Amino acid sequence: MNVIETSGLGKRYGKSWALQDCTLAVPAGQLAALVGPNGAGKSTLMNMTAGLSVPTSGTVTVLGGHRAGSPAALNGVAFVAQDAPVYKNLSAGDMLHLTRNLNQGFDTPFAQARLAELGIPLKKKAGKLSGGQQSQLALTLALARRPRLLILDEPLAALDPIARQDFLAAVMTAMADDGVSILLSSHQVAELERVADYLIVFSRAHLQVAGEVDDLLGCHRLLTGPTAEADTVASQLTVVQTRRGGAQTHLLVRTTGTDDPVPPGWESHPVSLEELVMAHLRASNGLSGPSLVQPAGPSLVQSAGPSLVHPAEQTEVNR
Amino acid sequence: MTVRTMPAQPAQDTAPPPLPWRRMAWPTWRQQRATLISVPAVLAAVSIFLLIFGLKIHHDYAALVNCPLNPGGQSGACAKLFSNFNSTDWPLGNICAILMGLAPVLIGAFAGAPLLARELENGTFRYAWTQGFGRERQAIAKLALVGATLAVLAGAFAALFAWFSQPFLYTEQMNVLTETVFDTRGLVFPAFTLVAFAIGAFLGMLFRRIIPAMAATLGVYLALRLGAWAVRGQYPVTAVTGNADLFNGYGTPRLPGFPWILNTWYTGPGGKPANQSVVSKLLDQYQSNPHPKLSLTRTLAQQGVTEWNRYIPLSRFWPMQFIEAGWLLVLALALVAATVWLVRRRAA
Amino acid sequence: MTIDKGDSAIEFRLDPDSGVPTYLQLVQQVERALRLGYLKPGDQLPKVRDVVAALTINPNTVLKAYRELEHKGLAAGRPGQGTFIQATLEQVTLPELAGLRRTLLGWLASAEEVGLDEDGVVALFASGLRDFFKTRPAADNAGTADHGTEGVA
Repeated sequence: MNVIETSGLGKRYGKSWALQDCTLAVPAGQLAALVGPNGAGKSTLMNMTAGLSVPTSGTVTVLGGHRAGSPAALNGVAFVAQDAPVYKNLSAGDMLHLTRNLNQGFDTPFAQARLAELGIPLKKKAGKLSGGQQSQLALTLALARRPRLLILDEPLAALDPIARQDFLAAVMTAMADDGVSILLSSHQVAELERVADYLIVFSRAHLQVAGEVDDLLGCHRLLTGPTAEADTVASQLTVVQTRRGGAQTHLLVRTTGTDDPVPPGWESHPVSLEELVMAHLRASNGLSGPSLVQPAGPSLVQSAGPSLVHPAEQTEVNR
Repeated sequence: MTVRTMPAQPAQDTAPPPLPWRRMAWPTWRQQRATLISVPAVLAAVSIFLLIFGLKIHHDYAALVNCPLNPGGQSGACAKLFSNFNSTDWPLGNICAILMGLAPVLIGAFAGAPLLARELENGTFRYAWTQGFGRERQAIAKLALVGATLAVLAGAFAALFAWFSQPFLYTEQMNVLTETVFDTRGLVFPAFTLVAFAIGAFLGMLFRRIIPAMAATLGVYLALRLGAWAVRGQYPVTAVTGNADLFNGYGTPRLPGFPWILNTWYTGPGGKPANQSVVSKLLDQYQSNPHPKLSLTRTLAQQGVTEWNRYIPLSRFWPMQFIEAGWLLVLALALVAATVWLVRRRAA
Repeated sequence: MTIDKGDSAIEFRLDPDSGVPTYLQLVQQVERALRLGYLKPGDQLPKVRDVVAALTINPNTVLKAYRELEHKGLAAGRPGQGTFIQATLEQVTLPELAGLRRTLLGWLASAEEVGLDEDGVVALFASGLRDFFKTRPAADNAGTADHGTEGVA
């Protein structure tokens, strides 16, 4: 089942498009990481998936075909917006009571036990809690609803490293216990590398990359070799990014599998998720970065389906 | 780490049954607690004030209940009582009546504007509108609960004010059919409060900001009230046209209040329109030297001038109240529907 | 944060800079534990949720590692209970180990004579190791758990 499906999804505010022509299918039971620079369209996608805003064009459905924002969708989807909104003058206990009243199912003992474990007092007004505690409170409320899809908009941005790890651990545990699907956005890729199953990259209101992390890492390689041969080699491959030095050049290429032959005299290395994302983002920006880096040839990767490329054979891939 | 005590929700193909409305009782109370406590508290404080001074006013009126109303016919003692009444009780009553006119919009704007707008201002709608109990139903529940509470409180408050200002009807300083007084009584006062609340909530949702919504509510309410006054005289409660003597003269005690006169004209002998200058002279004469026993109408009749009036009798008060409260209620419901529609449509 | 260890005999740890994929690290740690005797047939592997809570990794990664162990015949999942060890790895006997070690030191000496430094030795060995196991038939990795595919340790 696809936990999120979009088709030609777009959202316009006034004259400018915050998101355009987005077609995605995110499989269930996975953690989908949504990355991209600020203003790229991440929050827009999340708001529409949570049912908070209405698409200008296209459709978005959740949990196997329910329209986003419909009663079935609201029932099965929990959303924690940026800055973890809670009612500042309500206590944590009040927030529990409130969330229980507003939902079909609510695991009150779990929520209370979790808050106790985190050291969040039930009687204190939520506005007086620290940022990390407010985030954890919002997450607790969302998890206690036992959703099948949990949407988290930049939940880690305002947290210190320990709070970040605690938050991610809680999310991972929920996945292990319930099989809940997660859509989590961040503008930092590195911290998501250990937890992401599925990657979605946005830049400038467009989808750049979408696919299972295993597949993506399996079909990208970093080739290193002499600059003299760089153009010849590049012409035979799909190059995402070129980093050209005087004598040595790195080519980040897209392949059909790990067993593609390496040009003689060239080395082949696996690519990390962060490198992959950065390369695609730079390619989509047409940016020229610091001196050694030159923009790659255009290789905007528009997703037409769940996986970026379908590897000819499913090889065991680095994770 | 903590363990779940409930099984995970199974996959569903159909929408779940909607949650029962009573689920919104506690959330509405808790979220609107400030309003639901402060409005009754303020009303209670004002009510105590009205109670204390109302007793004084009733007491002072009781002392002069047998005194004639026209100044010329009063004895020394009566004149002193009246002078006291008119200088202490009446100004107070007048001010209270004016404030009563503003009460609906003050209550309504204060309670209505933040009802939904606060969620939008704070960003907490991102929490509230993604819960299982959908956003439209939440809005309906809140509007209904708070609106009904305000209407009931306003109705009780209007009854108290009616008692408070009762003596002024007898002294003819107030008439229930006049615009400002009619608004403070019966069903119309709570109806106006409800409409003001609905306007506040609607504008709050429209502007998404509390303070501008409050200010706009004041303006819209005043316009509505003026409109109501203009329309009031046209209600299909039949106005009466006649030449009956509406005033019995100053000397006798009378019913609390006099009719609402829409038009007056004069005819001479034979039914022809009277001579204006003659009528004017007679009016001037009567004003400077009012007859203790005969009303103006009788005095004119003695001179051959018949006074005709098109007027609304006092007995029409309640029918008018029902009609006005009726269309105000319809308006309030329409505003509530529009507010819920805005909630449905408004995006993040 | 204290982790409820449950009934498992071992705890996992991760080396994020090793370049070895996470799930493979878990597989390797189980195999090492088997070799060293920390794990015996019948022992339960750590529950997925406990691993996930301790290491903050994706449960799908842990599941992948456990599936790999099942595929190799080292472990088996019991529905509702967890994943349990069901085989041992051949222990390489001490004399065999000693003999291998002598051969290795001899080879290292030859490499040094040719002029290969430490990094060069590692690179050569790594590529040879990769090619060696690539050419093994797939049957070697299933059924009997005689050989482990242990990476460079």
